[in-house]
Amino acid sequence: MYTELRSYFDRDIYTNTGIYVGKVVDLLIDVESQSVTGIVANNINRDVFDISGDGIILPYRWVISAADIVLIRDVIRKFERTDLD
Amino acid sequence: MTKYNARNLLDNMKVMSTDAKELGILDNILIDSRTGSILELKVLPNPDLDTSKYRREGDYIILPFNSVSAIKDYVIVDKDKAKTFITK
Repeated sequence: MYTELRSYFDRDIYTNTGIYVGKVVDLLIDVESQSVTGIVANNINRDVFDISGDGIILPYRWVISAADIVLIRDVIRKFERTDLD
Repeated sequence: MTKYNARNLLDNMKVMSTDAKELGILDNILIDSRTGSILELKVLPNPDLDTSKYRREGDYIILPFNSVSAIKDYVIVDKDKAKTFITK
């Protein structure tokens, strides 16, 4: 689906399990590969990402679809701490 | 690998062809939302530009992204690749 890049700004980002991730502030463009490589996000859900800074860059390969919101793969669970003992 | 922030590109970036002609101002970039591939540039043409050789969409001209040869202070597009797009 064709999307205008400007329309991405300020869209909310959710995972496909319905967890809020953050808001799109910018996109990273790679001219050589002619593709968008990353999404710069702020207003991050601190329950999901344990970060100290303002924002994060999500790789665009995590994106499933983008229309009214940006939907990304449920990668959150992969970063969950697993206590073995 | 050259990476750019989209907001910087969309902030009144001028588009110039390889014959040193100023085509206009970059208004938007069209991408495939699923794959992230950049497909086209939407440019607000200069008032004195002959837009008949370009694909038009309303007041804008559409240039294929594979015509882009460099991006720094200007977006430089190959003059022939930008025009051949009218075959569509």
